[in-house]
Order: sequence, then structure tokens, then C-alpha cells
Amino acid sequence: MSITTSGAGVIPVVKWEKPGDEQMFWQLDRMHFPNQLSMMEHDFIRTFYSQGFSVAAEGYGAPIRPHVRRFLTRHYLAFAPLPLSETELEDVGKRFEQNLGKAIPEQGKRWEQEFLPEIRALIGDWEAFDLAGASDAQLLAHWDVTIQRLARLSHIHFQIALPMLLSIGLFDEIYTDLFGAESSLESMRLLQGMPTMTTRMGQELWRLSRIASNSPTVRTILEEQAAADVVPALERDPACASFLAEFHEFLSQYGHRAETWGISYPSWVEDPSPAIKSLKDFLSQQSRDLAAELQELAEERDRLIAGARERLVGYPAQAREQFEFILAGASVAYYLSEEHGFWIDSYGIDCVRQVILEVGRRLAARGALETGDDIFHLTFAEARDTYTHPGTDRRGLIAERKAELAAYRELQVPPVLGTEPPGPPPDNPLFRTLGKFFGAPPPASDEPGVLRGAAGSAGQARGIARVVRSLADAQRLQPGEILVTETTAPAWTPLFASAAAVVTDTGGVLSHCAVVAREYMIPAVVGTGVATAVIPDGATIEVDGSAGVVRVVAD
Amino acid sequence: MGCSILSGSKGLQRTMRLTSEGIESIVRLGEPACHDPRSTGGKAAALSRLAEHFVVPSGFCVTSTALAGIAPPVHLPNWLREHVLEAYRKLVATDSPVAVRSSAVDEDGASSSFAGVHETFLNVHGTGALVAAVERCLESFFSPRALSYRRERGAEYGAYEDVRMAVLVQQQIASDVSIVAFSANPVTRRRDEIVVTASWGLGESVVGGTVTPDTWIVDHSGEHLREERIGDKRRMTIASEGGSREVDVPRVLRNVPSLGWEQVGEVARLAARLEEQTGYPVDIECAYAGGRLYLLQCRPITTLM
Repeated sequence: MSITTSGAGVIPVVKWEKPGDEQMFWQLDRMHFPNQLSMMEHDFIRTFYSQGFSVAAEGYGAPIRPHVRRFLTRHYLAFAPLPLSETELEDVGKRFEQNLGKAIPEQGKRWEQEFLPEIRALIGDWEAFDLAGASDAQLLAHWDVTIQRLARLSHIHFQIALPMLLSIGLFDEIYTDLFGAESSLESMRLLQGMPTMTTRMGQELWRLSRIASNSPTVRTILEEQAAADVVPALERDPACASFLAEFHEFLSQYGHRAETWGISYPSWVEDPSPAIKSLKDFLSQQSRDLAAELQELAEERDRLIAGARERLVGYPAQAREQFEFILAGASVAYYLSEEHGFWIDSYGIDCVRQVILEVGRRLAARGALETGDDIFHLTFAEARDTYTHPGTDRRGLIAERKAELAAYRELQVPPVLGTEPPGPPPDNPLFRTLGKFFGAPPPASDEPGVLRGAAGSAGQARGIARVVRSLADAQRLQPGEILVTETTAPAWTPLFASAAAVVTDTGGVLSHCAVVAREYMIPAVVGTGVATAVIPDGATIEVDGSAGVVRVVAD
Repeated sequence: MGCSILSGSKGLQRTMRLTSEGIESIVRLGEPACHDPRSTGGKAAALSRLAEHFVVPSGFCVTSTALAGIAPPVHLPNWLREHVLEAYRKLVATDSPVAVRSSAVDEDGASSSFAGVHETFLNVHGTGALVAAVERCLESFFSPRALSYRRERGAEYGAYEDVRMAVLVQQQIASDVSIVAFSANPVTRRRDEIVVTASWGLGESVVGGTVTPDTWIVDHSGEHLREERIGDKRRMTIASEGGSREVDVPRVLRNVPSLGWEQVGEVARLAARLEEQTGYPVDIECAYAGGRLYLLQCRPITTLM
């Protein structure tokens, strides 16, 4: 245990994990991990960042390295410069930008020809492995391979993510510079409306809802049963068999997304309730046409690009070439931000999770754990060790760790820990982009009942605020209501199709939530810091996504 | 010349003269007939001589002979109009812009600048606008300002009646980078140094000094760099509908060298060749457009003489 609390635990005292930790500047990353971390989740994050971000950063010659810690049971992230002199850092930084610049025009090709085939092959191998039928020895070997593959997926993830984020950030900067745009929302409209696995998922779900709508039996079940009871009810009625087969096909292709990033939460394949919930919502929105909506976005995008080119007539060729170069890079990057999320963060990671669950089941059967899910309270090494040493009993250790989580559950943890750096953050394109991704501290609001955040998606909406703590909790969101949440992950995407607007505590204009809200053309205010804490559930609120302002009209 | 629909007796006269004496109403830059300042004016004749050996934007000149006797309000006679349009269609393949300038013809044909006295039309698109620009250009020759300018300098240019005017129509190049170069260093007066200054966009910003341009000092071979200063280039002039406008330089280009090292060398060699050919240190204006270097003007460096 690395943590102690002072007195009654009112003010948490952090026990640093490594020497020098107190000198670093730790930021709570609620956007990716809004909840407490189990030990294995933390191990997962550590692999993801040290084997992924750090190795990719080294490959591109980045002057910074990420560090992750589990403080106060939560996920904290710090970016620290390499131990070099200021001039050396500047040189390294310049070379790093050049390296990433070279990677920008390559990213689409690398994804299609190199990364995606490799990821699909890894997924294919995982899916071909008979988890339930494997011997203990085979499963152990598969576990080791899985941990290696996780490291590889993480490496690919950041090889994509770094030039991807930089492309989008640079495009926003060049667009704003050339055309004096008021906010990043304007530049992002030139990238919108690309067909991705995410939009395909939305349209597939929409198509299923049309099939359901034309089948009285399926329709009645969807309308009358609670989300959790729908699949059993469909299974009982033979008239629903063909719909059910299509639904399972949909899940196997698009259902590997989970409530948050990481390995802790079931995907739709395990628990299809979120997908069912979306089907129910779509049934009540007969007049919509998702394909036409995407088409509209694409047409607006093409118009805006043509307009931008028109405005650049007469500019030196070098200016127009730079604009085209970065636009092309950013368009690919915008597409890749959805694609990599689908294939790595959702699909690949779900494959890892399935292996962990199988080992958990076997350990529980041996009595090493209370339940299979308890395996998440062990580290990767502990889990392997337990598996290779029959007779080990981890139930006591796990009870302790559960008690630790329980003790910290209600604790309001500080958004930052450690030592604030003396100067402002480095002013380079990647850092500026990371700021737009994670979001900046929200501007203070001195007006009562008014919250400020970043403008995430343009437009205004007024409606009932549904303050949602988890994806399961989001089942309460009714079409036309406003989703208020700490963060959203890919599994939340279909909710955007029926929400009137979305407000988050975390994230910036490039965050998942903001990107998806723009694709669904609903207003979004992101990174308010406090929306879930101060907006009462059921209150009437007004969301101005263009200005980044939320107003509580009536409690 | 079967194209003329005669509009008046003057036109008829002119046509007859042309046919009988073979005097051309239109001459192309670079052809010997265009080198004669008595026919095409000092500016066009100088450019024409340069065009023989260097890449200058192509163009043609409506000669002073063809324009003689046309009085305001100026309307080109139909026969001349047809000639101008024919030359224009040969000059520009598509609807690319041209610049229309006056080129005054004085007694000795050498140095009349008439700077700012006669009108210049930039970014002229299409046949209608071209004819209008040629006519307005010629009309500016009769403006009170031009008339008094010529009267004041009567002694310098000879009799007022002897001063005539030609009109130069030249492809207007969309300069990506505009350059002023000196074949000798005008500051240190060193004759073995070539100074190249350049900035983004059309020439106004670099010629007019509204921007801190990039500066290179190289030797006459164009191979050895003695000094390089990359300017913080904040503003640039770009072509826009019917003229030009000044805009901010995009941040991505502001502190980026406007010329590559190869290009600096090419400009330096051009300046050195011009000095060799003219026999005195020169100050040149040139531009890169679409990767090609165009010579726009060449003058002696007066401060060194």
C-alpha cells in the first residue's frame, strides 16, 4: 500500500511511489479513467504508457516521457522532460517535430498497410484461440503471449496517436491563423463526416432498429421490456430468431466497446444493454435518417474546404501547399482517431480482457479467488503467479484491496498532485494539442448557476439534465434530455444519437466526447470540471456549445 | 489585314499605312521590333531586350505608332481592338491575369519614368477588361496631371507634342516569392558581394520595405554564402479580385526562409550575368512563380556609380 490518510481521511496524504515523484506534476486523468483503479487496471495502464507511449515517444525522438501512478486509488498522469539541458531539450524538441512532421503524410498508408493488418491478425489469433477448451498449460502460454501482444498494441497505439494528434492540432492552428476563426469548432468542421467504423456502427444499429420496427414481435419486446430483459425475451420467441442472429452479428463486429477505456468493464458482447437501449431510443425516433445526417456533414465539410481554398487564391504556393498538406494529414488523422479507437482501444483490449476473465474463472474454480472478476484486484504478475502455483489463496489480499477501494470511494481527490512546474507548459504544437485533448482548467464562472467549459460542439439546447455516473446509469437518459457526465468513451456513442446535448467534467475540443457530439450535430460543452457535481439531476439547463457555457435554469 | 471593320477616317488611314509600310501595331516582348524605344517606349524596350536572354513574363506592346492620333474619350478603333485581342488570346491560354502599363516614348527613349503619372492596371481578367484597361491607360496620358508633368519637364523631353505613348500588356505572374537583388553590396560597396533579399507574395512588400525580408549575401559564383538573415516576415501582398491586398503571413511561413539555397544561388547568378552583360552593377527585381524564376526589372545601382 502506497497511501496513507491523515486523521479521519478528510485530507488525503499521498505516499509517493518512487523517489522524485513529489517533484513531478501529476494530473488526474478522469477523462480516460473516471473511476477508481483496480490493481490490474493500473498494471494495464502502466503497460499501455511505458510499453506504448514511452517506446513510441523514443522512436520519434520525443523530449518528454509519460509517467503513470495510482495515487489515492485513482489514475494520475505526468509528462516529464528528459534529463537534459535547456538547449539540448530545444534541439531534441525540434528534431522531434521534424520526425512527427515526416510521419504526418505517412500515417494513412502505415495504418492501412502496416498497422491495421497486424492488429487484425492479432485479433484473429485471439479469436481463434479456444479459451474454454484450452488446457491450463496452453492457457498459461496464451496469457504470456497476450501480455506481449498488449505491449505491441500499445506501441502501435502511440505510433499512431502522436502524429495523429499533432496533425489535428496543427490544422486547427493553421486554420485559425489563416482565417482568424473564433474557436477550434470552425476548423474541425472541415474534418467532419468521414465514414468510420464508429459511424458504420451507428448506421448498422439504425438499420437494426428499422428491422425491429417492421417486426411487431421484436418491436413489442423492445418497447415493453427493460433493456436487460430484452435479449432473453427475444431468445424465447422463435419469431425473433432472424433479428437476434443479426443482432449477434452486429455485436461480434461492433460490440467490443466498453464503458471506459481499459480492461475493467464488460463490452457489449458481454452485456448488450447499451446497444439495446439505443435500439429502444431509435424506435421512438422514426423520422430520423442517420445516413442523410452523415451526408449533410460531409457536404458541409466539402463546402467549407472549397471555401477555404477560394480564400487562399493569390497566396504564395508554399502557403497553399502547407494548408493542403496539413488538411490532408488532419483528415486522415480525424478518421484514424475513430479507427484506432475501434480496433485497438475497444476490439484489441476486449480480446485481452477475455483472456484475463478465463484465467479468473479457472482461479475462482480452484478457490484462489472468490469470483472470476476478482482477478482484476491482482497485478498481472500476481495473477500469473497464482495461476502457476496451485493452492495459492488470494482471497485475503483481494479483500484488503477491496477495502482500500471502499475507503477511498467517496473521497474527492485533488485534480493535481506534486510540484507545479515553475513556468507555463512548453509552448510547442504537441503540448498545445494535448491541451485541446485533455482540456484546460475551465475558466472560472462568477455568475451563480452558470458553468463554463470548452466549446465542444456548436449549437444551443435546452432540456432536462440527466446526470449519469456510469453507462448502466445512462439507461435513464431519455431522447431529448441532456447527458451530463464526467467523460464518455466509445461505448457511449449511441447515446449521442438521442441526447439533445452533452456536458462533461473532462476533456477538450479534441476529446472523444467533443468529436462524437460534432458528428451527431448536438451541442457539447466539455471540461467544465464540476458539471456532475453541481448540476442537479433533473434540472432544466441551457447548453451553449458554441460559447462553452451551461446555465441552470430551474432545479 | 482583313480583320478591320473601320470606325472612322483615322482608322482607315492607319490601316493603309500599316499595310503599305508594314509597320506593326503590335510587337512581342523579345522580338527586335520591340527593342526600339521610339516605338514601344523606354520601359517596354528595356524589358524586350532583357527578354531576349532572360526569362521575363511574356507580353506584347501596342506601339506608339498604332496609338498615335487617338484622342480622348479614348475608344480603340475596331481594327486595333481586334489586333489587341488576337495578341491577348495568344498571350494567355486561359483566363489568367495580365498587367497593363503605359510605356512613354520620349525623344531619346532612355530614361523617362513617368512614375505614378500614368496608370497601371494589375490583375486584368478577360477581353472586356483588357480593352477597357488599354483605353484607360491611354487616357491617363491626357490627364491634367500627366499633361502638366510633361509641360514641367518640357526641356528634358523635348517638345510636348513629341512625347507619345505605348501600352504594354504583360502576363501577370502570381509571385510566390518576390526578390530584390543587387550585384554589388550597396551598403559596404563591395563589388564582390551579391545581396539577395526576398519575402513572400507579390513585390510590394519587399520593394516597398513594409516587411523585414530574408537576406543572403553570397559571392559572384552564387556558391558561397557569406551571411544569412531570416526575417520575421509579418505581412505580404497577394493578388486579389481586380488588384492586390495586404494580409498577414501565415505563421507557418513567417520565419521560414522564402528561398531555398539552390534558389538563392540561381538569383545570384542571374544578377552576376546581368552585371556582366550591362557592364555596371545592377539592382534587379525578380520573382519565383510556380518554381520558375522571372526577371521583372533591371536598373543600374545609382549609388555606386
